[in-house]
This record gives sequence, C-alpha cells and structure tokens, in this order.
Amino acid sequence: MTWEALAGQTLSGISVGMVLFLIAAGLSIIFGTLKVLNLAHGSLYMTGSFLCYGLTSLLSQIPGAYWWALLFAPILVAVLGGIIEIFLLRRIYDQEMLYQYILTFALILILGDACKFLFGVGYQTVAAPWPVNGKVFLWGLSFPVYNLFLIGCGLAVFLGLIVLMRYTALGRNVRAVTYNREMANALGINVPKVYTGVFMLGSYLAGLAGTLMPPMSVVALGSDMAVIIECFIIVVIGGLGSLPGAFLGAIILGLLNAFGIYIIPKLAVAFAFMLMIVVLIIRPWGLLGKPE
Amino acid sequence: MTKNFATKVFSIGFWLIVSAIFLLTLPLFLQASWVSLINEMLIMALAGTALNLMLGYGGMVSFGPAGLYAVGAYTTAILLTRYGLPFPLAVLAAPLAAAAVGLIVGWFCVRRSAVYFALLTLAFAQIIWTVIFEWYDFTGGDNGIVSIPIPELLYSITHVYYFSLAVVTVCLFLLWKIVHSPFGTTLQAIRENPMRAEFIAVHVRRYQLAVFVLSSFFLGVAGSLFCVFAGSVFPDYAHWVKSTDMLVVCLLGGIYHFAGPIVGSGVYILISKIISKNTTYWMFFLGIIVVILVLYMRNGLVGFAAEKLAQMKNRSEVKKNKDVP
Repeated sequence: MTWEALAGQTLSGISVGMVLFLIAAGLSIIFGTLKVLNLAHGSLYMTGSFLCYGLTSLLSQIPGAYWWALLFAPILVAVLGGIIEIFLLRRIYDQEMLYQYILTFALILILGDACKFLFGVGYQTVAAPWPVNGKVFLWGLSFPVYNLFLIGCGLAVFLGLIVLMRYTALGRNVRAVTYNREMANALGINVPKVYTGVFMLGSYLAGLAGTLMPPMSVVALGSDMAVIIECFIIVVIGGLGSLPGAFLGAIILGLLNAFGIYIIPKLAVAFAFMLMIVVLIIRPWGLLGKPE
Repeated sequence: MTKNFATKVFSIGFWLIVSAIFLLTLPLFLQASWVSLINEMLIMALAGTALNLMLGYGGMVSFGPAGLYAVGAYTTAILLTRYGLPFPLAVLAAPLAAAAVGLIVGWFCVRRSAVYFALLTLAFAQIIWTVIFEWYDFTGGDNGIVSIPIPELLYSITHVYYFSLAVVTVCLFLLWKIVHSPFGTTLQAIRENPMRAEFIAVHVRRYQLAVFVLSSFFLGVAGSLFCVFAGSVFPDYAHWVKSTDMLVVCLLGGIYHFAGPIVGSGVYILISKIISKNTTYWMFFLGIIVVILVLYMRNGLVGFAAEKLAQMKNRSEVKKNKDVP
C-alpha cells in the first residue's frame, strides 16, 4: 500500500465515519432520552437522501440547488420524525419493548416502499456542489475537497451537540428528562414536548446525514438497512446514549471498513460485527458508556 | 365448573379434529398451487412457534431467527448436493446443526438482556448471512444451491405436503409438550420477572440458553423442510426480511397463545399472497397492518378472539345468574 493510498483510505474512512456519526448520534440521543431503539433511523436517513436527490433535481435551474436541499431536506425529515413520534411512538411508551421494536420495524417497511413509490428503484447520483468539489493538494498528495467538507461538518455537529447538551437551558431540560422522567415532570418540564423535540433532533441529524452522503456515494433503496446495522455497531461499540462514544465508534468503524476492504475484502463486514461482539462481551456498556 | 371445562376441551378437541380432517384430505380437492401455499403455511407455522418459544414464553426478543432457519436449510442442501448423504440423514442433521450453531450464538446472546440481546441476535444473523453470501465455494454465494437431489418419492407436491404435515405435526406436539412442562412454566416465570426467578434458585441464563437451543433446533427443522419443499436454497433465507416475517407471524397471531403463530402464519401468508398479487408495494401495506396490530390489537388474532370469547361467556353467565330468582 502506497502512502497516497494509505492517506486516501484514511480520509475516506473518516469522512464516511462522520456521516455515520450523525446518524448514530441521533439514534443514541433518542435512545438515551426516550429509551426507544429506533430501528427506522436508517429509513429516515434514506428518506433524507432521496429528498436531497429530489430537491436538487427539482431546483436544478437555480444556482446552488444542493445548498437549498441541504437546508430543507433535513427539516422535512425532522417534521416527518415529529409526526412519527406524536402519532405512533407516543402511544406505546408504557408498553413492552417488543412493541417498540415491531412498530419501528414496520416504519422501515413503510418508508422503504414510500421512497420506492416516489423516487423509483434506480440508482441516483448527486454531484458535489461548487466550492467543495474538486481536489486539493497537500504534502504532494491529492484529497477530494468534499471528504474534508464532510469531516468539517461532522466535527461541527459534534461540538454543537455537546454545547447544546451541556451548556444551554434546552440541553439541561433534556438531561433532566433523561435522568429522571417523573422528577423532571414534577418540576414543571413538559416531558412529552421534550420527547418530541429530541426525536425531531435525532431525525434532523439522520436527514442531514442523508443529504450529505449522496455526492460521495449513490442514492439507492436498501441503504436504510445497511446504515442502521452500521449504526447499531457504532452505538454498541461507543456506548448507547453517549455522544463522544458515538463519535469514537463512528471513526473506528469508518477506518475498519476502509482498511478491512484492503486486507480481506470478503470479510470486511464481518470484522465490524466481530468487534461489536467482543465489546459486548468485555465491556457491554460500550467504550465510553457508563455501566447501568 | 367441570361442565365448563368439558365444553372447553370439547371445543379445542373439536377444532383439532376438524383441522386434522381438512389438512389430511385437502390435496384431494385443492389445486396444486393451493397445496403448496398451505405447505408454506405449515413450515412458517413451525418456524413461528419455534421463535415464539423465545418471544412469547421466554420474553426474549430475537431479531435473528432467520439465521438459524437458514443453517437448517443449508445443512440439508449441502449434505445432499456436495456429500450425497442419504436423504433421512441430511434432514435429521439440519436441526442438529442449527442447534449447535444456536448453542454458540446463544451462549453469547444470553449474557445480555433486552436491547443488547436483540442487537446481538441481529448481529449474529447478519454474520450468518454474510458467510452464506460470501463463501461461494461452499454455499454457492448469492446464486444459492439449486436442483438439490430430493428423493423421487418427494417430487410430487402432494407427497411433499404430507411429509411436511407429518414433521410439522410431530414438532408442534413436542413444542406443546415443552411449553406445558415444568420447564415451560419456569420459562414463563423468568419472562414475568427474571430477578424473582433467580431468587427461587432458577439458573436464569442456563434456562435462556436452553430455550435458545431448543428454538434453534425447531427453526432448523423448518428450514430443512423448506429446502425439501423448494428444492433450492438462497442467502435470502438468512436475511432480516425473513426474520421480520417470522416476528410478524407471531405478533399477528398473538405471542401469548400457543396457537398464535399457527393462526398468524395462515393469515399472514394468505394476506401477503393476495396483496403481492395486486401491487408491487406490498411491504407498505404489510407495514400498515403491523402498525395497526401494534396500536390496536397487541394480543394478536388469537388473543383478540380469546378475549371476545371470555367476554361472551361472562355475559351469558351473568344472564344465567339473573334468571335464577
């Protein structure tokens, strides 16, 4: 492996990891607060990427169509998430976990076929938009600018989320609800509103990831399931409910995928699963999670 | 009281006899396509009941039953095609192989509960799928294994049907026995409250592992039967979609009743055939059905029917009491 290939793989591994981080962070925040493992989170991501494709082709006459899509597609996904939380999830919080799984599983089927109906079965592509297309040369090696842009976005969202959670009144309310739902309710925090808000935030992150990914890969059906399984691995490695954990897990998984393909192409997928199993056995609460 | 009990037994026995007569004679008057549809229902009923042993009785939500089902199917397929083993041996080996894999997978999975258990089962099922998908030399990869040498006796759909019927009946009887044994009762105690079960000296993990292996065993039987029925195997058998099918079958029928997955299987396969004939978007409608089930009919069809029956019985008893001055 040459230096150039090594650097290239590292960069693309980390940038894919950043996109996965956005989805896993949403999944993790939702699980932390609502105690719901949203199996349909990958479907929200896929919906976001199809919306990105739809909006960019709809607005193709307008300059900077992609940036408009980047603005609106995640918001639409967040609204969709809000609808899901208010009309479906809210009714089964007090039920057994099984029903949450099954309900969110049903959403995978519904959203998957809805995307198929609205956007067709073909593979779609979205070109990387102007200032972040092309390549940049550093230390004699060339890197796609878009990958650097993704890494920047991931870092910005990571820091933004940490600030939001730790240093704002909003984040304090969310943490209070996460810590003790009844007590927070007694202290006058509107718990259902926090739940809806957190679910919408998680959905927004999934939609954002869905919008950021297409210029680097393709928009296709089936990405929902591929992504959700990778996100499970990330949150299990990092610790369910932990933001820094999701960040670390995403980078590990991104690098593992990028280099696994080089070493044993056929078993690249299995590597990640094996890592997840090892973590679950040795440190079931994840690398950066807290034991219950 | 005794009379009520007698009528209950009579009604269950009555229904068993009616369905037995129907199932035994149906190849005489139904078209081959219907017979194969009912064959599919039988196999799915067995798979669903095997999964429900964990889900309904053990309270362990597994997302990976399809992995073990596929182990059963591929064991029979590979033993017949690659090693030319006699047919009975190849079929008998399937549940044993599935149980062996179930023992390994289960050993890891039962160490964690709730979310982690579900995720681990999903991960292992995906690993099984990946192995089947990538190991071209052994499993045929995504081409699957086709034209498996099934004995000539089982070429006709009627014969396959009777073969499946016999095996499924025996397995369901065994499962019924397991559920109604002290083992089954302990299992339900664990479902209700694992901590209390531990307090009365039940080795919770060991029981959970045992039920994992038993469930895998019967999933292996179901997989092997499907392999014999279809004459081919594909990696799709291990796919998460197949696991969803099984979960939905259990939920549709009702997970707290033994008959749940059996009824669920019949209704589910019928509905899916009807919907998929008319639209390519049948997953959408399946999703809607599941949402309605979860929101309004959590105990499934059998649970719903049992509830209504109990209400009717109550009402008639109240009436009777009123009549007496």
